[in-house]
Amino acid sequence: MRTNAGPGSVGRLWHVAVTVVVLAFLLIPLLVTVLFSISTTWESTILPEGLSLQAYANLFTDERFLQAMGRSFLLAVITVALSMLIMVPTIFIVSLYFPRLEKWMQSVVLLPFALPGVVAAVGLIKLYSSPPFAISGTIYILIGVYFVIILPFVYQGIRNSLRSVNAIELMEAAEVLGAGKPTAFVRVILPNIMPGIIVASLLSLSMIFGEFVLANMLVGGSYEVVQVYLYRMLGTDGHASSATIVTFFALVFLLFALVLKIGNRKTRTYVPSDGGKEEPA
Amino acid sequence: MSFVNIRDVSKSFQQNKVLNRVSLSIEEGEFITLLGPSGCGKSTLLRAIAGLNPIDEGTIEVGGKDITPLPPKQRRVGMVFQSYALFPNMNVYDNIAFGLKMDGLNKEQIRPLVEEMLAIIDLKGKENSFPNQLSGGQQQRVALARSLVKKPTVLLLDEPLSALDAKIRRTLRGEIRAIQQRLKMTTIFVTHDQEEALTISDRIFVMNHGIIEQVGSPNEIYTSPASEYVARFIGNYNVWSREQLQGRAIRGVPGEGEMFAVRPEAIRMQALDAASDSAGGIVAEGQVKLVSILGNVLRFEVDVSGLPVTVDMLSGQSLDHLGAGTAVTLFIPREEWKSIKKSS
Amino acid sequence: MAGRSANQHQVKLLLLIPFFLWIFAFLLLPAIIMLVSSFQNDGGQGFTLGQYVKGLTHPLYTDAIKNSVILSFVSALIGIAVSVMAAYSFTTFSPKIRDRLLNVSNIMTNFAGVPLAFGFMILFGTNGMLTLLFKEMGLSFLVFDLYSWKGLAWVYIYFQIPVGILLVYPSLYAIKQEWREAASLLGASTGQFWLRIGIPVLLPGIVGTFSVLFANAMGAYATAYALVLRNFNLLPIQIGGLVSGDIYPRNELGSALAFILFLILIIALLINEKMLRLARRGQ
Repeated sequence: MRTNAGPGSVGRLWHVAVTVVVLAFLLIPLLVTVLFSISTTWESTILPEGLSLQAYANLFTDERFLQAMGRSFLLAVITVALSMLIMVPTIFIVSLYFPRLEKWMQSVVLLPFALPGVVAAVGLIKLYSSPPFAISGTIYILIGVYFVIILPFVYQGIRNSLRSVNAIELMEAAEVLGAGKPTAFVRVILPNIMPGIIVASLLSLSMIFGEFVLANMLVGGSYEVVQVYLYRMLGTDGHASSATIVTFFALVFLLFALVLKIGNRKTRTYVPSDGGKEEPA
Repeated sequence: MSFVNIRDVSKSFQQNKVLNRVSLSIEEGEFITLLGPSGCGKSTLLRAIAGLNPIDEGTIEVGGKDITPLPPKQRRVGMVFQSYALFPNMNVYDNIAFGLKMDGLNKEQIRPLVEEMLAIIDLKGKENSFPNQLSGGQQQRVALARSLVKKPTVLLLDEPLSALDAKIRRTLRGEIRAIQQRLKMTTIFVTHDQEEALTISDRIFVMNHGIIEQVGSPNEIYTSPASEYVARFIGNYNVWSREQLQGRAIRGVPGEGEMFAVRPEAIRMQALDAASDSAGGIVAEGQVKLVSILGNVLRFEVDVSGLPVTVDMLSGQSLDHLGAGTAVTLFIPREEWKSIKKSS
Repeated sequence: MAGRSANQHQVKLLLLIPFFLWIFAFLLLPAIIMLVSSFQNDGGQGFTLGQYVKGLTHPLYTDAIKNSVILSFVSALIGIAVSVMAAYSFTTFSPKIRDRLLNVSNIMTNFAGVPLAFGFMILFGTNGMLTLLFKEMGLSFLVFDLYSWKGLAWVYIYFQIPVGILLVYPSLYAIKQEWREAASLLGASTGQFWLRIGIPVLLPGIVGTFSVLFANAMGAYATAYALVLRNFNLLPIQIGGLVSGDIYPRNELGSALAFILFLILIIALLINEKMLRLARRGQ
């Protein structure tokens, strides 16, 4: 049954209107960017003068763009892989065996929100611009700091996964059946939180692809990633810029679609008994 | 020599003493129940036997072996959890085979054992189903099979039927009992449901705040509760203190005892007969306040000079003349007037 | 009982070391360095409150703080208002449509920073599509200068909305239909329902989300940076300039300003935490 806010069709109309206006407001800037990327010239007219896919042809043969994409990919994949490798066991151990530590972790994991790009950059630049850890300007400092940026989301995703499969009880059941803790973790916990891990990974990938501030301030041209490339193209080449944005967004869209698919798959989550369901003959 | 020996086991959570020097002995092949309300310590004791909760003091012996220092995986106990804890990523076959894999058996050795178990729990044909495709009762049987296939020395069941609804519970508990007797498996069953405990146990241990209040067969517990706590917990006993009986229309109350318990179905009731004599028992006079139909039992709430008394009678006899408002005489045979210990 | 678990305990702690090392190196240590640096003089020596004095008295920086706070406040306020209305309207649709709408919101949170600046430039730049369109249609009053505060505000409002919708939606979804029905049976009108039941129940969620949106805008750097190179006097822009400027970096002053921003953000986050706790108790 649908909820109705106001009397009959007037209420209906209002909600549809609000939704349409908000959606339009959100989608139009993106749509015009797409339009620009497939335009021939669009200087001082309301609509483009013509349509063409030349911008994309140029973009995907541009060495600089391709290298930037490559760097972004490398950076994102390495960061996410390392994050999962370290965080999955960490969160598992903490939430199952160190409840008091978990409280502390919950606060620490929120810290990145108080240390956004510029703020984090201050300390990072001072710390890593000179020996012995002169990683400023390389991929390494970005891997280091992006790990921290995706931390809140990775933590949330994995912890919720562990909760929803009732990890504590599964471990106990496995141990009573003769499994040691590592065996139980690998055979019984990991397979069941895999969807959660994948979702967290995909979301993290899309976040890293979209990050600009730290990529620009800590590394800039020394390791040019897509967002920095985009910024540098902004004033000079509108077609390259718009095509880059559209490509970036297509990627985000793809990652997101995967997340939905994995999230909606009939997940074999933990199911307590459903009481009176009739036993099939 | 008892098969399972628990001696002076204590456990505290923070300041709360959940188990207070609990001792009990179980014979091989016995089906015993730990019965009590939430918080009485029964689940904690069970988990201590499984090795999932460490204990502060005491020893636990199973089959002559002191298992107190051993981790769960070395104790060779089987445990069925309240929410079954079936592994969602494995089908029925793999769930049941898991423990055997942990023992190092190979595929050929595992197969016949799992198939035998599937037959016992009557789920042949469901080997490839996953837990979320099964009903509650089926999941429960898989959980049982998973533990039994390893032939544990003792089987522990932590309120395995609590999550099921009434009809399935009754069927399933009968099946569990049947399987247990067939395999002669020493079993410890935990529940808060007294009807469940009375139906399937060889012996019942009634627990209260970390101690065992009474041990006995279902019949003993039911007909001779030792304390006020047990009497109130089991059945629908009428429980009265001596003070409460003062100044009421009751004759023949024995001289000893501070606290008394009488089963509702042990009281005989008829229309008021002032000449009733209290030889051989206790006589009371009162008025019927309320009659409730509980299926095959009629429950009468009788007011005896202000004291509420519950009387149960099997329906089917013509009892229309004893409707609300009727003046009645109650007779309680001497042997049904139980003296019990007062509980703090 | 003791022997076996002590060993296992050690192994577990050992496995936690990588995590601790990493957040020390890339979260805690930089934050500490920033703090220490903020108390040093321009040469990086000594202990002085001079940087904070400068940051809180010099008109350039006080303006930056003021502008940031106002911009963040306004964009969060309008953002939350629009989000609440939109999210509530979403709840009135069927589950399938509701999900689609939320998914769209979710994806659009990624359209921020540099890409967003570009999108707005196409629409509202000097030769922007809508700029030209409005002039053509005689609606010149609708034209605004993208490179002004008004323009920036619109862009900030834009990226607040998807985030706001996602954060506030769960609270709205919690307004149970049964409450409305019970209220109307007891004689309450729609207005009275919202006044006495709906809004009080929603308030913690709304305040908490407002707080997050405020923090979101306070820390935003890319958008303003991309629109016109540091034309806007905002706190993050100032910090960025002091720390990696091409003139010569003044890390210490930047640290002090960064720490001030950090404190503002922590307060906003704490408010949100408190609101979440209030909301949870209510349910």
